[in-house]
Amino acid sequence: MEILLHILLILLLAKLFGEVLERAGFPSILGELLSGMVLGILLIHQESDILKFLAEMGAIFLLFTAGYKEVHLRDLKESSAKASVVTVVQVIVAFSFGAAIGVYFHLSVLESIFIGVAFSPTSIGVVVRTLIDMDYLSSKPGSMMLTSAIFDDIIGIFLLSIVVTMATYEQFPSGVQVLIILLKMVAFVAIMFSLRKWVFSKLFDQIHRMHVKESIFAFVIVIALFSAYLAEVFGLHAVIGAFIGGVMLSDVPHAKIEHVQSKVTGLAYGIFVPIFFAFIGISLNIATLQTIGLFSVLVVVLALLGKLIGGFLGSRLIGFDNYDSLIFGVGVMPRAGVELVLISIGKEMGIIGDEVFSAIVLMVAVSIFVSPVLLKKAIQFKNRANSNNT
Amino acid sequence: MVDHDGDEDRIRSVRSFAEMCSEMFIKDFMTKDLVTISENDSIDQILETFDKYHFHTYPVVSEDNVLVGTIDQNIILKILLVHRAPRIEHTHLNAVVFQGDTAKTIMIPHPISISPNETLCDTADMILKHKIDRFCIVEDGKLVGMICKPDIIKEVYKLRGLY
Repeated sequence: MEILLHILLILLLAKLFGEVLERAGFPSILGELLSGMVLGILLIHQESDILKFLAEMGAIFLLFTAGYKEVHLRDLKESSAKASVVTVVQVIVAFSFGAAIGVYFHLSVLESIFIGVAFSPTSIGVVVRTLIDMDYLSSKPGSMMLTSAIFDDIIGIFLLSIVVTMATYEQFPSGVQVLIILLKMVAFVAIMFSLRKWVFSKLFDQIHRMHVKESIFAFVIVIALFSAYLAEVFGLHAVIGAFIGGVMLSDVPHAKIEHVQSKVTGLAYGIFVPIFFAFIGISLNIATLQTIGLFSVLVVVLALLGKLIGGFLGSRLIGFDNYDSLIFGVGVMPRAGVELVLISIGKEMGIIGDEVFSAIVLMVAVSIFVSPVLLKKAIQFKNRANSNNT
Repeated sequence: MVDHDGDEDRIRSVRSFAEMCSEMFIKDFMTKDLVTISENDSIDQILETFDKYHFHTYPVVSEDNVLVGTIDQNIILKILLVHRAPRIEHTHLNAVVFQGDTAKTIMIPHPISISPNETLCDTADMILKHKIDRFCIVEDGKLVGMICKPDIIKEVYKLRGLY
């Protein structure tokens, strides 16, 4: 049972390395990736099916908890109007930069589009500390960053569903096929909304009265897996279903009891998610990383620039001044969890190769390191300019 | 020798306790005189409420007294200690709470509520099973009362003749 040793070591090293990185002021995700890289070099040379399955569960639970804990439909409705322009602009620019790299390096259409999709989301958690420290969380750009980050994740996840379906056609889809993809997505979301409206609340009203142990927790997990499975039935990817399933449970009171939330988070972040991040580290082709060439450098630079320029332009369009637009552009640069889910799916489906996979993991790591520093500089730049003017 | 009479008395008293417990309704001993927070109250007004009274959790209501959320001491502490928040707290939702300026932006928007016709036994079961310390009591969507663990303990004590 070598797999037991592998899981044990993954969890142990992921938490230890994660702690070291946290204490050094960086998100633990970097430590978890590193633990996978170390184990990939020293011990786990072949990815077993069990490990692969656990990593897939990690991706499913990462997005399920994101929807379940982090999204409130009410907030989305209220902020959708004000954030839509700036989000769409920054996603379009970031996407175009990603796709352009693919075209420049003569990659396939699908692979180029996929790089564009992987450039789209934002992981705002990386810069929250800086925003708090600089007293900028409640500022105009700070508040817009928070709203926009959720929207570009959602856009990224929907773009992913299109690319995944395109990959199954193994060619660029025709107009009719695109229409079918959209109809499937709409049908899936409509079913989930109907379940939320007519079933989930009533279901949990009964479940919380059940006598068996952990009934609510078990049913939350059942719904996570059901949503993931139903999405697959509709030809979407399981992680997309898990995310939407999480959002649909996010305002069901009995499903959100603190006690249950902490168990769901425990299952996700205590077991599956670290295995998922470590698995990405294990899957990294060190040989590819050693030959970091123009491609990887361009991926890193254009991924950051895409968000900076897109964010800047979008903010200018909605009336932010140059300084606030710059702060917003820098603030939406970081990437982390969702991007890694996207590229692991891309690799698994054979859409992207080792070089693209490694370059995007490198981009994620660099964005986590540089975004907080650049954001601080951008805020200081504005403060200096303001004090010079007064 | 086995004391059968004593056993029967005990069984009778257990039965009668279970029956009585199932016949007692929350509406008969819930707190009706509530301190509430309006959904549009500012952070300063909320802090004043927490300073003036010493409850753990306050229900947040809309203008027409519909229960829309709760705010508890943990949220207030989180907001007050925002500069010391560990990285694990740097989630999108927490960031939204940290920058919130009214009750509706910082409250927990999915409060657990029960009906005033819930029985003492069922409520006590839920408190134990789901580790919930208090419930808002809602009738037709409107907040009508609150019940917390000490209230339940007091009523169970009374029923068992220990109070």
